[in-house]
Amino acid sequence: MPFPWSRMETDLKRELAHHLYELTAEFERRGYSHEEAVRMAKREFGGAEQVKERCRDERRWAWMSGLRQDFTFALRQMRRSPGFAATAVLTLALGIAANVIVFGVLQGLVLRPLDLPHADRVMTLARADQTYPIFTWPEVRDVRDGNTVLSAVAAWTMDSFGLEANGATRPVWGWQVSGQYFEVTGIQPFLGRLLDRADDAHPGASEAAVLSWPAWKSEFNGDPGIVGKTVRINKRPYTIVGVTPEGFYGTEKFMQPSIFVPMANEASLGGGDWLESRQSHKVWSIVRIQDGVTMPQVQTELNTIAARLARQYPKEEEKLSLKLTRPGLMGDFLGAPARAFLAGVLVLAGIVLLAACANLGSLFTARTADRTREIAIRMAIGSSRWRIVRQILVEAFLISILGGACACGLAWTALTGLGNWHLPTEYPMSFHILPQPSLIPVVFLVSVLAGVLFGLVPLRQILKTDPNDAIKSGSQSCAGRRWAVRDLLLAAQIALCCVTVTAAFVSLRGLSRAMTVDTGIQPKHAVLAKFELSTAGYSGTAADRFQRRLLEEVSHLPGVVAAGYANNTPLVNPAPGSPVFSQQTTDFRSSNQAFGAYVFVISPGYFAAAGTPLLAGRDASFTDTEKTPAVAVVNRQFARRLFHSDDAVGRYFKNSSGLSIRIVGVVADGKYLSLSEDPEPAAFRPISQEATAKTSLIVRIRPDSSDAATNDMAATIRKIIRDLDSSIPIRESSPLNTQLGLTFFPSQVATGALGLFGAFGLLLSIAGTFGLASYTVGKRLRELSIRVALGGQARQILSAALGRMVILLGSGSLVGMLLGVAASRLLSAVVYQASAQDPFVLLSVAITMVLTGSLSVAGPVRRALHLDPAKLLREQ
Amino acid sequence: MTDKKTDLIQGTLDLLILKTVAHEPIHGYGIAQRILLTSKDILQVQQGSLYPALHRLQRKGLLTSEWRESGSGPMAKYYSLTAAGRKSLQEEKAQWQRYAGAVALVLES
Repeated sequence: MPFPWSRMETDLKRELAHHLYELTAEFERRGYSHEEAVRMAKREFGGAEQVKERCRDERRWAWMSGLRQDFTFALRQMRRSPGFAATAVLTLALGIAANVIVFGVLQGLVLRPLDLPHADRVMTLARADQTYPIFTWPEVRDVRDGNTVLSAVAAWTMDSFGLEANGATRPVWGWQVSGQYFEVTGIQPFLGRLLDRADDAHPGASEAAVLSWPAWKSEFNGDPGIVGKTVRINKRPYTIVGVTPEGFYGTEKFMQPSIFVPMANEASLGGGDWLESRQSHKVWSIVRIQDGVTMPQVQTELNTIAARLARQYPKEEEKLSLKLTRPGLMGDFLGAPARAFLAGVLVLAGIVLLAACANLGSLFTARTADRTREIAIRMAIGSSRWRIVRQILVEAFLISILGGACACGLAWTALTGLGNWHLPTEYPMSFHILPQPSLIPVVFLVSVLAGVLFGLVPLRQILKTDPNDAIKSGSQSCAGRRWAVRDLLLAAQIALCCVTVTAAFVSLRGLSRAMTVDTGIQPKHAVLAKFELSTAGYSGTAADRFQRRLLEEVSHLPGVVAAGYANNTPLVNPAPGSPVFSQQTTDFRSSNQAFGAYVFVISPGYFAAAGTPLLAGRDASFTDTEKTPAVAVVNRQFARRLFHSDDAVGRYFKNSSGLSIRIVGVVADGKYLSLSEDPEPAAFRPISQEATAKTSLIVRIRPDSSDAATNDMAATIRKIIRDLDSSIPIRESSPLNTQLGLTFFPSQVATGALGLFGAFGLLLSIAGTFGLASYTVGKRLRELSIRVALGGQARQILSAALGRMVILLGSGSLVGMLLGVAASRLLSAVVYQASAQDPFVLLSVAITMVLTGSLSVAGPVRRALHLDPAKLLREQ
Repeated sequence: MTDKKTDLIQGTLDLLILKTVAHEPIHGYGIAQRILLTSKDILQVQQGSLYPALHRLQRKGLLTSEWRESGSGPMAKYYSLTAAGRKSLQEEKAQWQRYAGAVALVLES
């Protein structure tokens, strides 16, 4: 026979049959007739099934064969009530998937170290005085040469390059890296060699470039003979010397550079000759700590270096203070908010899981109550209580496994989608998020734990079941029952779901505020084209001539109402901050500065094209030249900060090189770096006084034109630039509002994530409420029928059937909203301008909860109202 | 059957079974009968306790079993003592005698 337990079963049966046979024979020997003997033997023998059950319990294979029976039975039960099974599985899957997705993102962005050898020794150099970890090259070089604890110190900066290969020029993102960059990373080349110290020894030391693996695949079709080939970068010949390995994406977790070139060549690549400047904060830095050196030792040395630099260069380095932070997310600049956001979302995910568990608990309790009769019968025919508990556990286990599998499927789809998602930006950003297989066992562990733990909620109910009682009274004993565990669970679950719904509404509100915030520019009906003339070999007057010619051509296009250009665009390409000094200042050390302001360089017509209102004075003009006095247009905040009045036209300020600049105009405030910033001062200098090759051309068309017309204009501008010089790699030419996408990205992500959790929460509360309401009505059908038969009014029937549900829903929602308001501090870390005290938010949450509540009890209410007492009473 | 039956003290059933099986291989019904006989109809073993005990002892490795023709009719499951069972019987027996002696001492003092 195939299974040990089936042989055992037969043996047991035969053994007991033999006993009965001997007993019968004994009675026959005493002189009874055969029939009488059989009857007496049976009476004497008693319950054979009970004996068998106890023998099974004693047996070696007992637990396994029992388990097999339990599994078969559980599967049969699930097939018999697919509604219960599906709800339980879905509940568990949603709760767990939410957590796995959040954890997957957390792991990908925060927890997982950079994919480098000995990544624990790699750190980002950061400033203690500001979160944005940006440095000048001389600062990084001083750290490199002045320390004894770091084995390698490197600087890097990113730039858009025109890469000319195989006869075409394409814009690519490249990292300019200092000599020790690849020493810090510790990686080995996939092909050829990487850049080393000799390549970066001095400007022009080498014309070597290293390709990243994806760029080698996409730009060069994975050409195995790539090493040694010559390409042109910004019109200058470079030799490809190597390719980085496949998994390497630089030292930032969300970036993917295409090419690496020596930073020493920065000036010849058209970046603007900032390498030796102590005022141009242009580079990020990454370091590798020597083995055996502790963090406090490094910090001590960094303090010494910073103190020495501050003494040596009091003007530039007065406030310098250095520290190390975790690499990968621009130090703490992105790292801190990302960690705070993910921690907040993780809490919400935890709440969703808790709510799911509460839902599961009440589902199991309701189900056990339904099965009281069945359990009683099983006990009566000899099943032990433990056996019944085990049966319930097996059912919970099966549901957990199914739930875990669904959760894995959901989470994998979501994480893969996120990993392949391209951010709405021209920057080389992508999430290196991959679902980790190591999460699978964790998913199932959590799933089984949650399922089994909450499957045991009805344990007390089972243990106190008295077979006699249960069978006698059937299921009619629950009119006017006491408050049960399942009521509490439902209220708790609704409260938790209400918190997630509140969070979702708060973030929606935050997003709508962010969308309507005054950015100082009008993103609609405008096209932004961006390119870097230095990538095509232009500089100085050549660049100026090209820009003016382009402006001329574009301005005459039909439909164009304004056009202008700048070096940077607010929010899209934020301008660097520069110190501003009052007119009286003579000592330009940084502690004497009035404030820092964003400084843009603009052409005449820029404000009209961008849609920034000019409040006083005049626009920049081409008659402002290097020979005429330096002028600037400032925003209102600038005027107020410097002069404590809006009246600034005709007054002066100084920049860090001591140049006296006359203010000729005042424009409205705007947002420059992010939507959530406070009003910041900004200054706009005429491009004819500060020539630059960086070009952001803004063209405004008639406000009645359609979106299609805007897109057509973007294409036309692209064509005009190409006709003027086909070797200029155009980074982007598209409607301004699409390019502003990244600005809204954080709010959108927050709203998306929280909205999803809100939806999860709502689904769960609908499932839970519907489940319990229909269960309550189902249980009390008989009682309700009698009420109807005796002439009960609809209102009375409803309050009898569902009055308690309403109390539960109401109190749960109230507690949830109070919790949500209490958690608004947590939410404000997650969402911009979040406030749960907002009456709009509170009202929306209340309406949503009432709607979901009514929706989920609608079915049971219908059932209660359409009772046909005659039919039901006949049946029972 | 008579009314002088006495319930077995917890834990003594295993000892009685081991002792009964020690004579010769014997089936379940035979064990119950022999205990009843040798105790002069005082100790009646219910099958509800007997069979679970047999299965328990077998799981512990104190008994083995085999199917044989019984004298009268169908095949029956005959139990016999294993070496471990024999050892266990010695120990249990000594323990029981010590216990019974001690109880007797107290009662007669």
